Amino acid sequence: MITALLIVGLLLLVMINVPIAVALGAVALIGMVTSRGVDSIYNAALTMFDGATNFPLLAIPLFILAGALMNTTSISRRLINLTSALIGFVRGGLAMVNVGVSMFFAEISGSAVADVAAIGSVLIPAMKNRNYSPELSAAVTSSSASIAIIIPPSIAMIIYGALSDTSIVQLFVAGIIPGILGGFSMMGLCYWYAVRYDLPREEAFSLSRLWTAFKEAGWALTLPVIILGGIFGGIVTATEGAGLAVVAALVIGGFIYREINWVHLRKAMVEGVTQTAVVMLLVATSAVLGLYLTEMQVPQHFASWMMSFTSNKFMVLALLNVMLFVVGMFLHGAAAIILIVPIVMPLVHQLGINPIQFGLIMTLNIAIGQQTPPVASVLVTSCSIAKTDIWETTKVNIPFILVLVCVLMLVTYFPPVSLTLVNLFYG
Amino acid sequence: MVNRLKNWLEKILEVISIALLITLAFIVVLAVVFRFFGQSLIWYDEVASVVLAWLTYYGSALAACHRGHLGFPGLFLSLPKTARAAAFITAEFVVIAFFLVIGYAGWYLLGIFGDETLVSLSWVHLSFTQSVIPVGAALFIIAEVLSIPDAWRKSMAGIDYEKEAIDQAIEEASQS
Repeated sequence: MITALLIVGLLLLVMINVPIAVALGAVALIGMVTSRGVDSIYNAALTMFDGATNFPLLAIPLFILAGALMNTTSISRRLINLTSALIGFVRGGLAMVNVGVSMFFAEISGSAVADVAAIGSVLIPAMKNRNYSPELSAAVTSSSASIAIIIPPSIAMIIYGALSDTSIVQLFVAGIIPGILGGFSMMGLCYWYAVRYDLPREEAFSLSRLWTAFKEAGWALTLPVIILGGIFGGIVTATEGAGLAVVAALVIGGFIYREINWVHLRKAMVEGVTQTAVVMLLVATSAVLGLYLTEMQVPQHFASWMMSFTSNKFMVLALLNVMLFVVGMFLHGAAAIILIVPIVMPLVHQLGINPIQFGLIMTLNIAIGQQTPPVASVLVTSCSIAKTDIWETTKVNIPFILVLVCVLMLVTYFPPVSLTLVNLFYG
Repeated sequence: MVNRLKNWLEKILEVISIALLITLAFIVVLAVVFRFFGQSLIWYDEVASVVLAWLTYYGSALAACHRGHLGFPGLFLSLPKTARAAAFITAEFVVIAFFLVIGYAGWYLLGIFGDETLVSLSWVHLSFTQSVIPVGAALFIIAEVLSIPDAWRKSMAGIDYEKEAIDQAIEEASQS
């Protein structure tokens, strides 16, 4: 009864615009005081501090700092030039360039909005100039940025891994095949749009142009090689890989390209610490809520309740997908993961679902949530740049969302898609 | 006057948060280098975790200055003006009350820790590392209070903070 009242209280607080982190902490505090007495506030304060010391989450501020450093240089422009030289000659090449650059670049700074702004402010005007409709330009930019959430390094995966006690490195590996599959499917969809609407090719393919673009972007390309090579090669942990990413971004941006703009960097760092703190405060207060929920055995009750409908693994996964989809429509990615993971993990373990596979399912639902209004910050950013209506853009975006849904279905019902590489390297 | 105070607080929090972020990056890189040479730093995990917690609290206060914490403003902004005003006041009360309780509890705990220290660094007292609980809570409350006038004006005018942040990100990306 108390738990039901607290859920209603949580919804009410969120609806009157109390920050979600505070709403989580406040209802947990009330629940603890009601069930255990006033002295539990000391336990709550300690749990909140401990929640913020979750070691694997150290990777978040470091990847964000590396992303901030990269965002202040011309790395995005160089990557656009390289991708354009590679695939720009295909019909609808500019849309494909958009997908390709997003796969490499998006989500690295932890702020999907900042990343989409960096890519979209260059590519959306260029696409509009080349006769792409503003809605299609916004839709491609937005949905391709969301597929990048499952391509490592991914802040969403770090949060999931830390909260569910799952290997972040294995989550990163698991994201590779679905990420590439989604990215290439989106490129295929761009080609279909290009043929249907007679969209132009960019410059003809030229080896010399490709070589020039490659030389310009070569150092930028070493970043993922250093980071992911180090992590996947078992040389460094995900956190240490994030530390190396900072050093690599600093060396490449500051000493090789000599482009780090200190004014922009300061702004980007402020944005970075703010993003980190926003996520970490959510983690900290959700630790208090997690403590209360565990005391009340809510995750176990939730598992039993779900199992009372069906104990079929695939049916439960379908129900969880629907739940995650709805939550993703109304909550930002980090908040959704932080709220849902502690509640559903006992059920996931009970049914024998691989936590790595479930991490991918969760992350893909977050990606879809970024594309579905009312809360769809990535889509809103793209629409603002393209100056289009969100609902009109959503109509054009539906096929791209369907690509994300197809990848989600594959990951859900055909586990080898996400687990083959994991089993190969870590089996 | 309130705006000037808020700007000062923001600047101070920016300096502290950025310093913590750089410290964190430095510690992690240092640990990688030392491990590479077979000399792992025993204090690395514990100290880095504490710095992350400090970054969380100071950064949260900074985010509170410009109302950057994740929320769900859609329904709130669609309320009639009177209901919106009531919701605004209630929300502010909840935020301040929550951090008052956490801050008080954190302050009380400092006395209990006594001479306890970190496991890996016996000269660093827990009362120092955990001091961020009351200090961070107090800073959050101050940031929240100082940003009330601006937040009130925007809420009553129906301005969405998230939309504003998106517009700012686009403007900055276009300039760079």
